[in-house]
Amino acid sequence: MRDITKVRNIGISAHIDSGKTTLTERILFYTQRIHAIHEVRGKDGVGAKMDSMELERERGITICSAATYCDWKDHAINIIDTPGHVDFTIEVERALRVLDGAVLILCSVGGVQSQSITVNRQMTRYRVPRVAFINKCDRTGANPDKVIKQLRDKLGLNAVPIQVPMGLEGEMQGLIDLVRMKAVYFDGENGDKIRVEEIPAKYKEECDIRREEMLDAVSMFSDELMEAVLEGTPSEEMIMAAIRKGTLDLELTPVMMGTAYKNKGVQLLLDAVVSYLPCPTDVENFALDLDHEEAEVKVSNISSDPLLALAFKLEDGRYGQLTYVRTYQGTLKKGDSIVNVRTGKKAKVGRLVRMHSDDMEEIDEAGSGDIVALFGIDCASGDTFTSGGDYNFSMTSMHVPEPVISLSITPVDNKAQDNMSKALNRFTKEDPTFKTYVDTETMETIISGMGELHLDVYVERMKREYKAEVTVGAPQVAYRETITQRAEFNYTHKKQTGGSGQFGRVAGFLEPLEEGEYEFVDKIVGGSVPREYIPSCDKGFQKCLDKGALIGAHVTGVRCTIIDGASHAVDSSDIAFQLAAIGGFKEAYGKAKPVIMEPIMKVAAEGPSEFQGSIMGSLNQRRGIIIGTNEEEAYTVIEAEVPLSEMFGYSTDLRSLTQGKAEFTMEFATYRQVPKSVAEELIVKAQKKDKK
Amino acid sequence: MKKQDLIEKNPIRHLKGESDAKESSRMGLVMARPGVGKTALLVQIALDSLLNDKQVVHVSVGQSLDKTKLWYDDMFKDIAEGCKLDKAGEIHDAIMRNRMIITFNESTFNQAKLEERLHDLVQQNVIKPSCMVVDGFDFARTDRAALEGMRGLASAMDLQIWFSAVCNESADQQSAAGVPAPCKGVEDLFNTVVLLQPVSQSDCIDLRILKGSAAVSKCGKLLKLDPMTFMIREDCK
Repeated sequence: MRDITKVRNIGISAHIDSGKTTLTERILFYTQRIHAIHEVRGKDGVGAKMDSMELERERGITICSAATYCDWKDHAINIIDTPGHVDFTIEVERALRVLDGAVLILCSVGGVQSQSITVNRQMTRYRVPRVAFINKCDRTGANPDKVIKQLRDKLGLNAVPIQVPMGLEGEMQGLIDLVRMKAVYFDGENGDKIRVEEIPAKYKEECDIRREEMLDAVSMFSDELMEAVLEGTPSEEMIMAAIRKGTLDLELTPVMMGTAYKNKGVQLLLDAVVSYLPCPTDVENFALDLDHEEAEVKVSNISSDPLLALAFKLEDGRYGQLTYVRTYQGTLKKGDSIVNVRTGKKAKVGRLVRMHSDDMEEIDEAGSGDIVALFGIDCASGDTFTSGGDYNFSMTSMHVPEPVISLSITPVDNKAQDNMSKALNRFTKEDPTFKTYVDTETMETIISGMGELHLDVYVERMKREYKAEVTVGAPQVAYRETITQRAEFNYTHKKQTGGSGQFGRVAGFLEPLEEGEYEFVDKIVGGSVPREYIPSCDKGFQKCLDKGALIGAHVTGVRCTIIDGASHAVDSSDIAFQLAAIGGFKEAYGKAKPVIMEPIMKVAAEGPSEFQGSIMGSLNQRRGIIIGTNEEEAYTVIEAEVPLSEMFGYSTDLRSLTQGKAEFTMEFATYRQVPKSVAEELIVKAQKKDKK
Repeated sequence: MKKQDLIEKNPIRHLKGESDAKESSRMGLVMARPGVGKTALLVQIALDSLLNDKQVVHVSVGQSLDKTKLWYDDMFKDIAEGCKLDKAGEIHDAIMRNRMIITFNESTFNQAKLEERLHDLVQQNVIKPSCMVVDGFDFARTDRAALEGMRGLASAMDLQIWFSAVCNESADQQSAAGVPAPCKGVEDLFNTVVLLQPVSQSDCIDLRILKGSAAVSKCGKLLKLDPMTFMIREDCK
């Protein structure tokens, strides 16, 4: 079995266009997983290996995180290629959950952009140690020093360069390793021949200063190194041990540089991954003990312990359904039977493979800490597998945000209809933030998700992968209704003319619920409503939540309490009490001052300072509340809270306002009451729709 | 407690400028050693304007947007809890719409740039502030002309401006009125100068009015503040 200390599960995370996929491609080349290099937007039509989906190839971006395995100097590295766009945040977060460390890639020209800030925040949340790689040092305007400063200022990282570039832009010759104090050149057509030499005289002075700075920062993490530095005899091993310690404690971020495109610095980055990023036993992971109220239990990471594995990604490849799993303890063996903790179902491990983007390699077993893929296992992503028996643990449930935007989709013909349901079935399993349902009134299929682009991509994938041609409706914001004050009801449902009658009376009140969507409280004493009909009341209230009386939006934040009622020996029934509850709810709802809530997005727009005024103006026009601005050299970041309904088409507007020089990201922030004028408009619109 | 009570207990009520200065365009200065509560008092002054339904610009040099926002949220929470404010959530949401934070790096900040930003804001109709607080202004590296520029800005835009400054308190560095370095040479540009001092072994902070009258104050030129909420303590009135 593989030595667990020689396994690295790493992610590569970065802003779009910072060259993440190119870098991954080079890593695979140098580790001899692939034998030729293709560019992301390649002319040869093959495309980089990691972007396995056609659509990604076309757009030049990475959407789904494929897991890839490679070997480097006796170590096994599992790479999760993570998407960079904020609309796919759940993909990033899910990938981060199974990683032990990450490489943060930055463009030497673009530096830290708003996207990197989001990703960095997520990494901090999941306590992922990281090293930074400043890519594209060959581009005009490359300035690693600026990027390092931004890492410190914008991301709050203790960024310490451990390399110095020999020349920048077109002049870049190689790198100087400050730990070993050697110059490294990358020869050969593909930069695969590494030549280590003495530092050229013209860089000597700069390197001495930089090394001094590095030692100052690094020796904070090792007393041994501190003493050695004072005596003037720090060894390579000591420095590396101290960097590793600082990195694992998340107190230090070693910074490397290079250019993946021009084949420089990638091998040194791989060395750093092996030397500084943690192995599975270096990080603590926790499971939830389902027998003891989900108490946190540290996983052992020992391969001989009972199995604990997390399915973090599903893929519908050409070989059938693939489930990517990460084992946290125990061993996953071919032929073993495993239990899905959520469903309680047993399954047999049929084929076990190590994935290399599109290709794979069959294996017999995977030890603790490994990332592999399974065939033919039915599960949703986020499910936990154990070896069964009394072993009832689950990996932490992941935080899944509620969708904020929806669209209707209509298949163009019958064939598309079939394919569409297949596609939707798959997507909802793969991505918990993507939801779908059929609107009972219009009989349209509605899909909902985290942003315009998020839904766009799925519609595109439907077309390409499933040949499901659909027409798309205008995007709809997921409004909600809630009540703001307590109101009472006392409603009798009676139908006693002919045939079997219906009778039920319920009395009680509705009140705002601070946290949570809905609560039902039964305060009936003396049996005025018979026990068996209490659940009917609950059911009745819940039916009312689907469509509020104002605009037909989902109602949340309501506590329904029943305190009294009446029944009839013969005429009372389940349906009678459901209808009574519905009547009661409707009676009280209008009196409870219902209001409409809308999703508010946290928007960060970033652009050259001269456009700051017009960007602010544009956000202001869209009912945005500008929280503040932050000036950085020639760039300004403007933070605002803007209703999602006003953000449609903003990217086009922003581009035309700023000659394409500004960009923005948005994230769901909260639900907030809509202003009166907008509420009135929405109500009128809803009434018109009803009449149709 | 109602919103009105909060307004009355704010220490700024006790800080009148010199009698002839126009209230709306005065300049104030809060001095203290690091860690005593300059930012807290500035936020308090800003909150007072916000509670009076006025708009505020908070300029922060060297601190991040999130941190500054946190100051407001924490301060408001402490006050709301400490004074048992009714409908705190609603008031919070309402007043924060009137606040705008501008942050600068130490190296990129200068008076001309700030002025340009302010004009932008007004022009784009984003905000029309009547109060501005400037936190982290480096007095040691600023010349008199820049401050005079700010003064001009204050009267041109009808804006009251409050600054914070870190002081070094050695005796020979003080002006006649007791204004410590680095501001002793420029005190004439300010209508009000106050000094915050922690009181050892007591749970309050002293606010000493060095310049400007304490017109409404019943306790003379020395106010006692609660270190949590920076409100005037009941017991010393």
